[in-house]
Amino acid sequence: MTAVELALPTTTSQDRDHPVQPRSDRGAWKRRAPLLPALVFTIAVTQVPFLLTVFYSFQSWNLVRPGSQHFVGLRNYVDVFADSQFRGAMLNTVVLTVVCVLVAMLLGLGLALLLDRAFLGRGVVRTLLITPFLILPAAGALLWKTTMFDPTYGLLNFVLGGETDWLSEFPLASVMAQVVWQWTPFMMLLILAGLQSQSKEVLEAAQVDGAGRWRTFASITLPQLSRFLQLAALLGAIYVVNSFDAIFLMTQGGPGTASTNLPYYIYQRAFEGFDIGQSSAMGVIVVILTMIVSTFTLRLMFRAFDVSGGVR
Amino acid sequence: MSTVDTPAAPAPALGVARPSGGQPPRRRRRRRGSARADVLGLVCAAVIAFPLYWMVLSAVKPEGEVQSLNPRPWTLRPALDSFQRLFSVNDFGRYFLNSVIVAVVVVVLSAGCAFLAATALTRFRFRLRGALLVALLVAQMIPVESLTIPLFFLIRNLGDAVPPLGLNQLGALVLVHLGLGLPFTIWMLRGFVRVVPEELEEAAYLDGASRWQFLTRILFPLVAPGLVATSVFSFINAWNDFLFAKTLIISAPEQQTLPMSLLVFMKVDQNDWGAIMAGSTIMTIPVLVFFLLVQRHLVAGTAGAVKG
Repeated sequence: MTAVELALPTTTSQDRDHPVQPRSDRGAWKRRAPLLPALVFTIAVTQVPFLLTVFYSFQSWNLVRPGSQHFVGLRNYVDVFADSQFRGAMLNTVVLTVVCVLVAMLLGLGLALLLDRAFLGRGVVRTLLITPFLILPAAGALLWKTTMFDPTYGLLNFVLGGETDWLSEFPLASVMAQVVWQWTPFMMLLILAGLQSQSKEVLEAAQVDGAGRWRTFASITLPQLSRFLQLAALLGAIYVVNSFDAIFLMTQGGPGTASTNLPYYIYQRAFEGFDIGQSSAMGVIVVILTMIVSTFTLRLMFRAFDVSGGVR
Repeated sequence: MSTVDTPAAPAPALGVARPSGGQPPRRRRRRRGSARADVLGLVCAAVIAFPLYWMVLSAVKPEGEVQSLNPRPWTLRPALDSFQRLFSVNDFGRYFLNSVIVAVVVVVLSAGCAFLAATALTRFRFRLRGALLVALLVAQMIPVESLTIPLFFLIRNLGDAVPPLGLNQLGALVLVHLGLGLPFTIWMLRGFVRVVPEELEEAAYLDGASRWQFLTRILFPLVAPGLVATSVFSFINAWNDFLFAKTLIISAPEQQTLPMSLLVFMKVDQNDWGAIMAGSTIMTIPVLVFFLLVQRHLVAGTAGAVKG
């Protein structure tokens, strides 16, 4: 297999997708027709739920009042934004996402750099590092709640001393710790894939040319990684915005609403208030928010790393 | 979105021919820093894996010891009674089998679909391609909590038309996980397909390869490492799912999946931690095995590429 070899970009321009013009457009389409059913199926199964959510967000529909479903335009959105609890949940979501993605990413980069070298027991260490990602998320949240944060027999108080009730005094930070723990392996895996697709010859050449290790990292490794980092940040943001298990099982959004994020609030609206219209509207808002936050995170990240050309 | 929908950063023109290689010689002066890094790596691994250790530990602790005021990070009398309580749940084997079926079908179907769709979305040039790629991601951003109830009605209606995909059917779970997982898989794979030079495709056709031959014999092996990575992900997602198992399988106990068996032990007054942790341990094992299996392939693929 020569996958990674071929994975080396050969040219820099975006047009390289089609360097050689196919014989004719029609010929190309005919040749690629076998791909179409899969594409159509994919579009159907992925887009229908989304379109459904958008549709319901313009409806007034509460399961408690059967037959009440009717079109209300933007009413749900207006109501949602007038809700101060919703705004609080939105702020919590933004903070949680930005902090967790950035921290998990930095940790993931560090761990990936550690793993990108041959050493005894690398396989074991790599597997151990990935376990938070493999474990049942609900179990992970419960484990953090009981073994780490419990005021009387949690590990954190055992190490630091004191009787801090972490989950009620620092609810959001505690949740963030768990989320970072859970998502660091994901970041690490993606970044590691990027590191391993590097050309060893180029790294050697840089060394021969007298570039220090830091210099090599900054001017060869990071630019090469930027594509992987962007993907990791984007996908990480999508999933972290939707963190639910940690909050549901560790803090129940509390105390009060101190650690309520949007998915948890939506859950409350949908499963305790049975308000499909409003919860759908909030779902759509989460989508928009995710786009804003992930774009912002990407910008921030690439300014920090100063990877020229990473963002276009 | 314009900053994120084209993640092909212009990598430096590293496209040097690298026909062969082999492991570059290790330098001696790196040794000391290397040892420090090894220790650091081990420490990080230990810290990060600690909750996992605790999970297994709680699973094998005898009943009275699981939640005591003075927890010890070891146990002198490992016992399997938590596992016994777990296995005594009615139809535990059936639940396990159902989970395996759903996860495996999801992995196979999503790998197949994603491979073809990612190829289409990378190689076709059509007007809405960019919009479609963004739409895929956008679909992925909706919180499942707001989707669950609408999906319930959708699946109920679908069941009237296609019974195997309706409520209380494993097919419904497969369909939902496919829909929620495919965008991610396609986005991951797109990068792998994109870097396969178009010239290779042209050359294959010139040599008389058919479409299928190109897809299966040439492109597929090249994209396989990516498929491996993404299949881990779709497996985990399907395997760990609580929410849809609970909302879509409402009145058919024989179609339940594994996480549901854990709910038996969650009670309002007193959770049975030993059994919950035993269940979590049992649930983690297949994921771990799957990961270890494909990890070797991942490494083999990478190493093979370096060898040339």
